[in-house]
Amino acid sequence: MSGSLSNKSSAEPNLTPILDMVFQLITFFMLVTNFKNNLIDKNMELPVVGTARSVDPGEMLQLLVNINAKHEYTVGSRVIAKEDFGPWIKQTAAQSRMTERRLERIKEDTDDLTTEIIVRADKSTSFRDLNVVVRAMQDEGFRRFSFRAMEKAKG
Amino acid sequence: MSRKRAKKSEEVELNLAAMLDMAFQLLTFFILTFKPAPVEGQISMRMPPPHPLALASGGQSAGEKDTNDPVKGFNTLAIWLDSAPDGTLDRLSVGSILPGSNDRQEIGIAPGLQALKDKLKDMLGKPDTPFDQVVIQVGSNLRYDELMKVMEICTKQSVGGDPRNKLPGLSLVEGVEGAPPGK
Repeated sequence: MSGSLSNKSSAEPNLTPILDMVFQLITFFMLVTNFKNNLIDKNMELPVVGTARSVDPGEMLQLLVNINAKHEYTVGSRVIAKEDFGPWIKQTAAQSRMTERRLERIKEDTDDLTTEIIVRADKSTSFRDLNVVVRAMQDEGFRRFSFRAMEKAKG
Repeated sequence: MSRKRAKKSEEVELNLAAMLDMAFQLLTFFILTFKPAPVEGQISMRMPPPHPLALASGGQSAGEKDTNDPVKGFNTLAIWLDSAPDGTLDRLSVGSILPGSNDRQEIGIAPGLQALKDKLKDMLGKPDTPFDQVVIQVGSNLRYDELMKVMEICTKQSVGGDPRNKLPGLSLVEGVEGAPPGK
């Protein structure tokens, strides 16, 4: 008789702990997912420089320009043609100048911008292509440059 | 009355299975799309434009953008990086341009990066060093990874023997390919 009673009872597992754990895992992955990585062109191999410092953006305004292995200039996922690069920089510099003045980062009487230009270039990029970016940025008033590199080789 | 009592005694149990399914789907999404960011570092520097360095002499005016010699007449330490056709570093030499001098004076050829490091340390590290800026004239074909090795050495140098006194600025100038340095 007692055996027949146990057959009728249903065992319901307590799902609350497992749900808690899953939510904690989701929270972890949401926090460590870096959505800024979308700005990075991953189709390139950066040079390896042992003493390259880790990136600490702080409150500095930054602008990231990629030069990939196909010698294309990319910003985010957008490829900028070489002939459009000059006008794009002029427009970007004007926007940066307005932003910096609004944030009181620069004075009215100076042309130097404090926005940091981050250059990520494939290691096979020639200096000719790199210099196009640097000179154009310098002509528009950008003075701070950072050149990205890997701290250690992959693998 | 009996109905009210029956309702009060009922226990409402949430069905967590549906929520758990959804949570697992979210978890699967994040696990599959998770890609740890590569460990990237950077070399930061202040880079003033090279053209205002030109001296008003020999028909050139200061600030002229198209000058091939942007470092004349300044206490400038110049590094010439000549590139091979395949983009590698072919020849590395160090020189100076002192006031009153119209020609570049090549001080020496550095056979390698370690030699360049030693030479820069020797030239910039003295308390009475005449140099206050460094200009790197780079061959057009030189690859980015080769240039970064030299820039790494330059940014680590201190001026005047004080380790806290780093180079105030570094300029990059595109060199004429095939032309010997100093000409």
